[in-house]
Amino acid sequence: MGDYVFGGRREPEAPRTTEARGPEEVARAAARRLGLPSSWWAIAMLVATEGTLMGCFVATYYYLRIRAPEWPPPGIPEPRVVVPLVLAAVLAATSVPMQLASVAARAGRLAAARRFVLAALLVQAGYFAYEMVDFHDQLQQFQPSTDAYGSIYYTLLGADHAHVFVGLLLDVWLLAKLVRGLTTYRLNATVAVTWYWHFVNVLTLVVIGTLTSAAVI
Amino acid sequence: MATLELPAEQRVDRLERMWQPRPGILGWLTTTDHKRVGLLYFWTTLGLFGAGGVEALLMRTQLIHANNDVLTPGQYDQVFTMHGITMIFFFIIPMTTGAFGNYLIPLMIGARDMAFPRMNALSYWIFLASGIFLYVGFATGNGPNAAWFGFPPLSSRPFDPNRSIEFYTLALIFNGISSSLASANFIVTMFKMRAPGMSFNRLPTFCYAFLAASFGLLFALPALSADCIFLYLDRMVGTHFFDVARGGSVLLWQHLFWFFGHPEVYILIVPAFGIATAIIPAFTQRKLVAYPLVAVAELLVVFIGFGVWAHHMFVVGLPTITIVFFAAATAMVVIPSSIQVFAWCMSMLTGMPRFKTPLLFIAGFIFMFVNGGLTGIMFVAVPFDQQVHDTYFVIAHFHYIIFGAAVFPIFGGMYYWFPKVTGKLYFEKPGQISFWIIFVGTNLLFFPMYVVGLLGMPRQVYTYPGNMGWTAYNLAETMGAYLTALGIAVLFANLVVSYFRGPPSGPDPWLGPTLEWATSSPPPEYNFPVIPTVSSAYANWDDDDRELDARKLAEGVMVLEQGHEHPVSTTVDGLFSEVVELPHSSAWPLILTVCLSVVFVMLVIGKFGVAGIFAVLCLLSLLGWHSREPQEA
Repeated sequence: MGDYVFGGRREPEAPRTTEARGPEEVARAAARRLGLPSSWWAIAMLVATEGTLMGCFVATYYYLRIRAPEWPPPGIPEPRVVVPLVLAAVLAATSVPMQLASVAARAGRLAAARRFVLAALLVQAGYFAYEMVDFHDQLQQFQPSTDAYGSIYYTLLGADHAHVFVGLLLDVWLLAKLVRGLTTYRLNATVAVTWYWHFVNVLTLVVIGTLTSAAVI
Repeated sequence: MATLELPAEQRVDRLERMWQPRPGILGWLTTTDHKRVGLLYFWTTLGLFGAGGVEALLMRTQLIHANNDVLTPGQYDQVFTMHGITMIFFFIIPMTTGAFGNYLIPLMIGARDMAFPRMNALSYWIFLASGIFLYVGFATGNGPNAAWFGFPPLSSRPFDPNRSIEFYTLALIFNGISSSLASANFIVTMFKMRAPGMSFNRLPTFCYAFLAASFGLLFALPALSADCIFLYLDRMVGTHFFDVARGGSVLLWQHLFWFFGHPEVYILIVPAFGIATAIIPAFTQRKLVAYPLVAVAELLVVFIGFGVWAHHMFVVGLPTITIVFFAAATAMVVIPSSIQVFAWCMSMLTGMPRFKTPLLFIAGFIFMFVNGGLTGIMFVAVPFDQQVHDTYFVIAHFHYIIFGAAVFPIFGGMYYWFPKVTGKLYFEKPGQISFWIIFVGTNLLFFPMYVVGLLGMPRQVYTYPGNMGWTAYNLAETMGAYLTALGIAVLFANLVVSYFRGPPSGPDPWLGPTLEWATSSPPPEYNFPVIPTVSSAYANWDDDDRELDARKLAEGVMVLEQGHEHPVSTTVDGLFSEVVELPHSSAWPLILTVCLSVVFVMLVIGKFGVAGIFAVLCLLSLLGWHSREPQEA
């Protein structure tokens, strides 16, 4: 038995993480693993490819903009600056409770993890509700079919909102899972959803920053 | 487990029971076994390869002599567009990453399955659905008809009023979802599922190539998806991304498309490099020359590929400085490509090459790749590029690369791994005959295209006048096309006959260097009775380690027979991190795919409400997917 050592560890010593039951055991198993779990890498891959997609949208915005004589084109109101940026910052701040939820789950503090996710969810849902109303209001002024500015404006904004919406669904699903106790699977899910939100928050800052830039520079 | 003092046979029995698939057709529909998924990919892509091949023959038949009328101009447009899309998105990518990658990568890294087995099944079902989706369009007379690069304004609503482009944009997005899922899965599998001890510098070069292709797909496909989303919105919702009159830009399409399109070319070819680096050591019985350089070069080809896209756009009126930058960047690709060519050739020259069919195909591949590569470098000379742009010279160049360099190793790989997958040996003589027919056929097919291209024959024309001096070359090309088809028929006939009549191969007929040859042929569901010991990049040549594996099985170390158990390693060093329970046999990937297919069909006909309902069903099936956690399974 003693001959078979893999990177300083024998087979029975590696934690059987998916077998862990209950917060303490999950936390102990997580502490004994040596690297990031596969699920972390999976969410990193999702962020990489989604980030590239949204990067293409942002690039399209500037590509169309530097070719346009006026931006926004005549007849279309300049975007508001202060309120969208402040709201984006508020949304970005939810990265803090999400990260705390991850830390708490990893330490086996299940109730705290639930509370942090719920707190983040409330702020995120509030942001989303306001933005939906605002989106509807803006559509009264100009449409995606008005011209290329309208096309990329609403595509970019709509795509960002869709990411926020998916994040809300993930939050609700995660809470429903965490209500029924902690497993390694749910710990991994908490970390994954947290990283998804970090991505969406940065994305929102970039998208709102890009869209409001038409009024600033 | 040290506490269970069981004999080795009982542990293997237990593994057999644990990994037993469901019987019959249900087993295939709910499978998550990477080998079964790989085979499903293989058969599906083979069917689509047949379709793409028939389209190629139709084109060559139409062009056999001047003023031919086998196809109408409209039919010809659809046929050449479908040929391009099919071969790129529905044959080479799924054949390499889907079939070869799925079947072989877990075996090569000593794993029992992919990191995400259900997602793996999902990527196959979505791929199948997207293929059916595209061909439903073709069958209903709505086949894409604006070339595989679908430039607007040709592809915009006023110039292409039926549903052709909806099938084009949506099929590519649909297919892109499948490829992205597969790529993410491959990357995580190679990062985390390697047998403990396989640090990153012991990863076979085959895997490096697939890693490069996966990263390429992950970062290139979004540009294509963005482009297709814009075009779809332009046509269906009335946006103006590509409408110059309303502030849009048609060059925007080209930038995004080629930002995807050029890396895509390297994504097509890099797995072929990987197959070559797997076959060469086996048939020369020596380690690959310059393993680290080759591994880095494989990654570098794809990385540089992201900085060269505008060389497809030298005639659209870009600023000179831009053109010069992209020409220089393109020339840079020569460096990693040459490293690899030298490494392959030196390995063969300094080893003891046995020119069996797989190595013959690799030798043919090197010839074709150097040929296509050298004409590729010619495009760096901007005036030359502008002269031959949109002529058959370009067609010849990229067919030498795509058929000669990407498909030859696929054929070679089919022969090489045939014993592993079937447990039978193929017949050597017909194998070599099939190689020579294909080799002569492809050269007869593609070399005259260089000449007619230089003589000025434009690409994508359905016919040509008889007095241009192109007729004899076109006749030769068509003969080459049929000869190639004959060679491919001999190849598959050989494999089919070998499957039924071939002598048994044993686990390792080639004395292969990598771990897939360490297990029986065909491999059992759990791949390895013991997670293999790895201490070099040529793990199967380390006889001590294989003896150690036998001892481990006897003592029950690293057998992991308690369930669908799998060791997970650290990303770089391959340290043993944890043991996880893998999910298995699920119907949710198929259910999700069915819902998603309805969404895409509804998007074609613009029924957004129904599409929304089925999108909700997709979410619900995801909910069902995650309702059972692995430890409850």
